[in-house]
Amino acid sequence: MDVLAFLAVPFVAGLILTGIHAYLGLHVVERGVIFVDLSLAQIAALGTTMAYLAGHDLHDPVTYFWSLGFTIAGAAIFALTRTHHAGKERIPQEAIIGIVYAVSAAAAILAMSQAPEGTEHLKDMLVGNILTVGWDSVIKTAALYALVGGFHWIFRAKFMAISMGQDVPKARFWDFLFYTSFGFVVTSSVVIAGVLLVFSYLIVPSVAAMLFARRVGTRLAFGWIMGAIVSGAGVLLSFHYDLPTGATIVCTFGGALALLALVRLAVPARA
Amino acid sequence: MKQTIIAFALSLLAGSALAAPAKLRVVTSSADLASITREVGGELVDVTSIARGYQDPHFVEPKPSFLLLLKNADLLMVIGLDLEIGWLPPLIDQSRNAKIRPGSSGYLDVSRGVEILDRPAGAVNRSMGDVHPLGNPHYWLDPANAVRIAIQAAKKLEELQPANAAVFQKRLNDFKGRMNAADLRWTAALAPYKGAKIVTYHNSWPNFMRRYGIDVVDFVEPKPGVPPSPSHLFQLIRMMKEQRVKVIVMEPYFDHKTPQSVADRTGAKLVVLYPSVGGAKTGSDDYFQLFDLNIATLIEALKN
Repeated sequence: MDVLAFLAVPFVAGLILTGIHAYLGLHVVERGVIFVDLSLAQIAALGTTMAYLAGHDLHDPVTYFWSLGFTIAGAAIFALTRTHHAGKERIPQEAIIGIVYAVSAAAAILAMSQAPEGTEHLKDMLVGNILTVGWDSVIKTAALYALVGGFHWIFRAKFMAISMGQDVPKARFWDFLFYTSFGFVVTSSVVIAGVLLVFSYLIVPSVAAMLFARRVGTRLAFGWIMGAIVSGAGVLLSFHYDLPTGATIVCTFGGALALLALVRLAVPARA
Repeated sequence: MKQTIIAFALSLLAGSALAAPAKLRVVTSSADLASITREVGGELVDVTSIARGYQDPHFVEPKPSFLLLLKNADLLMVIGLDLEIGWLPPLIDQSRNAKIRPGSSGYLDVSRGVEILDRPAGAVNRSMGDVHPLGNPHYWLDPANAVRIAIQAAKKLEELQPANAAVFQKRLNDFKGRMNAADLRWTAALAPYKGAKIVTYHNSWPNFMRRYGIDVVDFVEPKPGVPPSPSHLFQLIRMMKEQRVKVIVMEPYFDHKTPQSVADRTGAKLVVLYPSVGGAKTGSDDYFQLFDLNIATLIEALKN
């Protein structure tokens, strides 16, 4: 019984992560900005570190606004440097994303080296663990994701068109909104689940769905089902073999994708 | 015959009624606390440590079994001083065991009753800059503090299981006796090296080195968790040459490249000492063995 109670929170957290990330993952894979979540999460972490350096406590709301401010700045950078669909530019957006990641990670190290002692645990506290997440943060996160999901539903035509490479007026503005809302989601996800797991929830369902389906709606449904099954299986495996939960779910995602790829090879594509 | 059987049956009944209360289930954050608590609790307690001796106690990856351990624990003992802050608080929250929450009777932070070094005197505020407000959390590496930890463990075990108070007291006294004898032996072994200068990688040995009169002159890490800058390394190497520092001590879980390069450039010897019980593959199964091993290793390095 005890075990079931312990299983419930990470599993529900996994479902909530699946809900928004399988959707955002479609955009991310279509746009070819695979590592944008790592980059935005790192910028948010830099914001938190700077707030800490400025003398704010980690749980101070002010600290959250610092992190949010940095994330929005990152979103602005990605909106301004969009080159994906213009065709002629030589610098791929992934390069910008990588640079932003490396520089903000290094800047966080520099910031910590200037902080008073006791920053040893700061890195750890910025990255969550899905095993020890509480119901309160699961509920808060679900509410936030519902808001972001609603926002994306209302403007789905614009966001989809841009991701699919169509010409949309004021594309930079819509891109800014896209990356800002994305940054919102990723920064809260990383705090409850950690970087590796968030990346997997974002990319793997979307890639797996592309093996089998073309239509966006079908791909989304496929991604949701896969995310839910993998979350359940990963949590069970982690408890059964007593392994770190987040890493087990990531490896389950990897295994599931490999399995689906084999199925895809064995079953010829229908026209 | 009949009487014997009845007497036997009665004694069985009495035995089950008076049976010692179930074993106390104690969970500790570190293997050192587990070792010391076993000395005091003996067969009456079931002690499990969350962190293994070979792990850096600042960073422990939470596993599902930890939640079950904590859920069923009667007592949780921690090092405190923020050592476990990165991983233990969410585990306590999610274990949903009200007994072991900070402030409850089943939570024992042993840092409250030991001697802490590197603690700034008076009030601490951020304007003071480079200080650790709570003091150095590696205090268990001093036999005097081990005894202080054992005293607190005994007191808490008595509180949770008053029926066995006498046993805990007796075992505590026995532990104190053996610890004092061992400490005299260790002090004598290190006496020829009193005043020797060493450098450590991380600031985890102040209690240990002070106990035995070894002088830690600097650290490879300028601040905990922060990689050394070139100028820090330059100054460190110059200082080690000037003061003829011949030994660098590090823990097994840090990367040896940087301290090894410092050792190469200064002609010093890099040795690994184990900060926790169970840290070495063999010969560190309890607190006494841990010290035997570390002191033998340190003497070997200081000989040259």
